[in-house]
Amino acid sequence: MLHIEKVAAAYGDVQALWDVSLDVQVNEIVVLIGPNGAGKTTLMRTIAGLHRPRSGRILFEGTALHTVAAHQIVERGIILVPEGRRLFEGMTVLENLQLGAYTRRAKQQRDKTLRHVLDIFPLLAERRHDRASSLSGGQQQMLAIGRALMGLPRLLMLDEPSLGLAPLIVRHIFEIVKSIKEEGVTVLLVEQNARRALELAHRAYILEQGRIVGTGSGSDLLHNDEVREAYLGYAPVTARTLT
Amino acid sequence: MMRRIVMRRIGMRDVAMTSPAALTRSRAWRGPVLMAGVIALAALVPVLIDKQDTLNLLFLICLHITLGQSWNILAGFAGQTSLGHAAFFGIGALVTRTLWLNGMFFPVAFLLSGLAAVAFAMLIGVPTFRLRGAYFAIGTLGIAEVLRITVSQNLPLISTMPAAEIAAYNLTLRYYVALALALTTIGAAALLLRSSWSLGILAVREDEEAAQATGVNVLGHKLLALFISSFFAGLAGGLFAFQQISYYPSAAFSPVWTFDALLITFIGGLGTIGGPVLGAIFFILVRQRLAVTLVEVHQIVFGILFILIVLVFPGGLMGAWDRLRPRAIAEALRSRRQLHKS
Repeated sequence: MLHIEKVAAAYGDVQALWDVSLDVQVNEIVVLIGPNGAGKTTLMRTIAGLHRPRSGRILFEGTALHTVAAHQIVERGIILVPEGRRLFEGMTVLENLQLGAYTRRAKQQRDKTLRHVLDIFPLLAERRHDRASSLSGGQQQMLAIGRALMGLPRLLMLDEPSLGLAPLIVRHIFEIVKSIKEEGVTVLLVEQNARRALELAHRAYILEQGRIVGTGSGSDLLHNDEVREAYLGYAPVTARTLT
Repeated sequence: MMRRIVMRRIGMRDVAMTSPAALTRSRAWRGPVLMAGVIALAALVPVLIDKQDTLNLLFLICLHITLGQSWNILAGFAGQTSLGHAAFFGIGALVTRTLWLNGMFFPVAFLLSGLAAVAFAMLIGVPTFRLRGAYFAIGTLGIAEVLRITVSQNLPLISTMPAAEIAAYNLTLRYYVALALALTTIGAAALLLRSSWSLGILAVREDEEAAQATGVNVLGHKLLALFISSFFAGLAGGLFAFQQISYYPSAAFSPVWTFDALLITFIGGLGTIGGPVLGAIFFILVRQRLAVTLVEVHQIVFGILFILIVLVFPGGLMGAWDRLRPRAIAEALRSRRQLHKS
């Protein structure tokens, strides 16, 4: 579905991505893990058209994305839930959701989609006339996901949806991600919370210092010693016996 | 703070949610009736009052409502600060004056002032709007100054109406043109906020990148706001050219036009329909008073006033009214009481 081929990206002289290649198949959950500053957000922004790659190709169902304007990428059904949510805080919950369906394709079914999204997030229905800034962190993340769903995504990209949220809410968010996938939406997920993300993932990629350094199925990586040590907080066996 | 006022004033929520039935039940009729009354009164002024000074003052108010509202459409709604409105105004004035005094039918020459300003605005907007941040503001400021200097060097002579035109000069006609233009501009701003583009335009103001990520064509929406804004700024210039018996062509390019528009919008309330209207009335009346007693020094007074408003009443007159009117105070008290109970 999504095919990324040798993408390089930079901010001025600082290169953030080097020859990144990655594939996402239809109706998969693909997870991208890696330390802070590895380039995960840059990669997501580049796919969404918010940042232009320096070289390489990004194809969605065979057609190029890296030359297309951001709003047209949304029109094709690739929708990003950005890091830090980026809600329109001065607007109401409802207005945020309506903006999610701003593309021509989504606008036609706006009312129907709205009912569906409010079914998934009943809390948003209750607070639909409140300003987005008055929501709690968890509710704001739900609104951010709801806004993305309003655009009828075919590929939903989530950038750190659990950031700064309480564990219980994080679990809820992950359940929602899973149910979104079950509705037939393909998911590309960037997460700090590697364990939970890998449990959910069909496949995962590890991004370090702007390069893909590993890939495998979610369960493979969960049981890989290097991954466990670097991302899941386990000390390697040898180190443990020494102490 | 400012955002909240903006949203309430704009009434986005009402547009989206109020059913026609609820509208007839509520007191929504009061606004339109009040508005019709003010318009009727404004239209009758030349019949009721036979003082040229008063008419001239009202003309100036209408001109400044147009200019302020034009600036507000771009800065207040779309969040794009223009520091070059003088360029749109000046081009409008130059085009209308030149064509009209060379024998073109005035309404056509007038319309062309708006279109010329639009054409010029697109030349600046298309390259600078692709960049985020201050590029547009700086770009418009720079180009406006270049234009002013170019015009003052190439057209150094005062432009005066032909004697026959002066002999037949009709201020009442000019007042009606100004009134119609001001009302059209206010109407255009209100229509824009009720259009399907309004959410997108306001989203661009709130967070450009988030707007992009939700599928808003940011460049397109900025250009739409610039199109409407520059069109009316150009027409305001055309109106100025129609009214002035004689003036230096470069005077219409003076940065004062930009900063008057900015001041009016901030005094009245940025991002509100009523703001530039109240702001223009206040601005012209106060300026008229101060100019008599303080001459040039009155500019400083407005500078201080501007700083005070931004600090104390960031919502301008509209916001101050919202905070101070009896009903708002009653509501605030009630919610505080409820807070204590719970």
